[in-house]
Amino acid sequence: MDNIARFSVQDNNTFYKIELSKTLLHFIEFDFTYFWEQCIEAGRTARKTGRLPQQVVSNAKIVIGRAHPYIEACLSTDFSEIVTDCIIEYICHSERIGLEELWARCISPKNPYETAIFRRISEYKTNRATNRWTSIARLQEYARNKTDFIFSPDMEGTALTEHMVRARKEYFDLMLSVASNELGCPSDALPSVKLCSPATLPNAAFAVSKISKSIYRRLSEALSQAQDMASIEGISYGKIKDQIAMDIYASIRNVAPPGELDMKIVLDAIRENPPQLYLPDSFKSIIDLEFELMYQRGIFLRKCENCGRFFTVTDDNPRCDRVNSSGKTCRQQYEELRESIAMEAKASAEEELREIAAAEAAARAAAEQEELPEPISPEPVPEPEPVPEPEPPKPVQIPPEMEKRSQKLYNALYKRVGRGFDENEFREWSQYLSNMKKNLKVGEANLKQFEDFLDYSDKLLEEVKIASKNKTVHIPKEKPYSTNKKRGRRGEQDSSPGVSQVEAALASSNNAEIKPFTPKAFESLIDAVKAYENEIAGYDEEEQESRPKKPVKISAPAWEHLSREDAYGTNKKDE
Amino acid sequence: MVFINEAAAINGLADTIIKGGVSLYNAIKYIYSLAERDFYNVNIKDAFKVVLNNVTDTDCLQALGLRINESTCGEMLSDEYNHVLPLMVYSLAVRIPTLKSVKNGNDAMSDDQLYRLYTTVMNKGAENYKDMISETFLETKYLVRKGKKLPPFTADWFKTYIYTNVPELSEITNKNMFLLGFSDVLFAMFYSCLEEELKSKILEYTADMSGEHDD
Repeated sequence: MDNIARFSVQDNNTFYKIELSKTLLHFIEFDFTYFWEQCIEAGRTARKTGRLPQQVVSNAKIVIGRAHPYIEACLSTDFSEIVTDCIIEYICHSERIGLEELWARCISPKNPYETAIFRRISEYKTNRATNRWTSIARLQEYARNKTDFIFSPDMEGTALTEHMVRARKEYFDLMLSVASNELGCPSDALPSVKLCSPATLPNAAFAVSKISKSIYRRLSEALSQAQDMASIEGISYGKIKDQIAMDIYASIRNVAPPGELDMKIVLDAIRENPPQLYLPDSFKSIIDLEFELMYQRGIFLRKCENCGRFFTVTDDNPRCDRVNSSGKTCRQQYEELRESIAMEAKASAEEELREIAAAEAAARAAAEQEELPEPISPEPVPEPEPVPEPEPPKPVQIPPEMEKRSQKLYNALYKRVGRGFDENEFREWSQYLSNMKKNLKVGEANLKQFEDFLDYSDKLLEEVKIASKNKTVHIPKEKPYSTNKKRGRRGEQDSSPGVSQVEAALASSNNAEIKPFTPKAFESLIDAVKAYENEIAGYDEEEQESRPKKPVKISAPAWEHLSREDAYGTNKKDE
Repeated sequence: MVFINEAAAINGLADTIIKGGVSLYNAIKYIYSLAERDFYNVNIKDAFKVVLNNVTDTDCLQALGLRINESTCGEMLSDEYNHVLPLMVYSLAVRIPTLKSVKNGNDAMSDDQLYRLYTTVMNKGAENYKDMISETFLETKYLVRKGKKLPPFTADWFKTYIYTNVPELSEITNKNMFLLGFSDVLFAMFYSCLEEELKSKILEYTADMSGEHDD
């Protein structure tokens, strides 16, 4: 029951409750469209018939009562004219007229509808009421802004501490106090809330009627002799409250304590009532009270990373349990996404393994075929050692703290894109982070690698921060990743023999350092000449070494003597 | 002037005058009560607007949160003050001859019709209590016939009456000074609006008749 606070309102003997954080979230997200439509419909009907349709009005009031328990509590008092308020707002808005003009139009009312509008605007004019509909709309915006101010994640995405929440809350409230003070608003004009017990409520005699009746029976005799305290309305009792209270107490001072039976009845009746009750004097005060109690009882809100709406923090999960358009909660959706990625990664890894095995088998078969025409080898072919089957990779669960750390880094770097951090650089980094996480899930990377990467990212963030301060763009000094070369599952391919030599050569050439030419320095001319001779000599030696050492044998050509007949053949005809 | 139902028209006009008198009487009470607690909440201009737009029904002033009761205007709940109501109606009744200027084409109310209207109003309770009002029906009739300018409708008789007959209201208090101040303005403006209302009523009765003739 820690997250429940009970309250009562003036002129209402019922006790209401607010569920801390839930009531607030419900109110800030409440959609008033249906209520608005109902009011417009009521207004249109009233314009034709001359009176507000009570059925529609009742429905509309029920709808708006669901927005907040305070509205529900005041539906028969302060918010009883909420539909008329909404209609007035609609008329002024749609016809682009002010309240004064609308009031003047209805100054000689011709039907109950005009009378209702005239009476309501007259109440606004004489400070006896405000437009409650407008007030609710403004308070919803106030509650939204306050929630956002207190519970929004900071620039670096770090989780809010208790102290930070308190600091933000008090800062927000103080802003209002300072503004009201500077604007000359009297302090008692601002909303406030009292803490009471059911017996000290202003309407306690009616709110706790069962006990009050029995008390009245006992006091009636004593009260009949006491002085009448009823006085003229409008007198300020601010300074004489103690005197009044003691005068009243004097009349009951001598009444004997109740008997055991009476106390038993009281005990039974009191059990039904909450021990503490808040008595807000306005809607704003109960909204502020909820923020205050949330802080006191350690109930905090967080913005969902998926849908961006606030939710009550129950664990470290940064996603909410709200059902979104997909029909699943953000949390479920995220878990399913994670699982599907893991499954896909596992399937592709298995397929790759299968392909490698098939390629190896094909290579082995080809080698065997080549060996077949060979004569029987004198030496027996040693049987290939059984290759131990590679163990299927085990998925690695990312610890929540590392997950959190990576998320913070992501948020921090993301916020600095364009402000000291190049967008492409960020894209590359985030792609790497994503791949790293995928690999961890399919077991193709380990936590050490991930941690190294996070350490690197921390350094990167520091550099980016400095660059941001200096209003420059961060240029990475060392980058253990690139978009083409992915660590882990794909990174291993690079280091495997399967990678092409050309790519390796290119990579090595890219990595080769190009040094600028620096001429040698000599102390004297003689040193220079000697160095030159040595160089030449060295060169000659190298050249000599590169020449074939076997001497070439030169011999005279062995000519064969050919006769004419051998050379041209014999032709007897010619002869 | 020819009415479709002359008796009904005269009765209707008499009712309007009496309602006007009651309305002015109540309006004074409502506005007086304003000074009790709502001096800074209710704009007197708004109260005037409401009264002058509803010259025969001042209950509309309740929309401004004004109430007539012991706490807000106890000074006006005395028997002596209650005589103001017949005086108020009488003050309006003596001005009935001015309705002769209301014409439907060339048709205007005859002296006989005006006198019958005056008699009806007087029979319904109007009274010149202690002869507080110096004007008479005949004097007004004479001035109208001669085309002379009538004296303005003022609160002089009202102030004289409360000074001499209602001691609670003749005391120098914030509320009583407020009463003397606003009554002057209210009387003049109210009469002007009531005159307009009566003119439109007369034309309404004749328009009804012409409408029936058309049928």
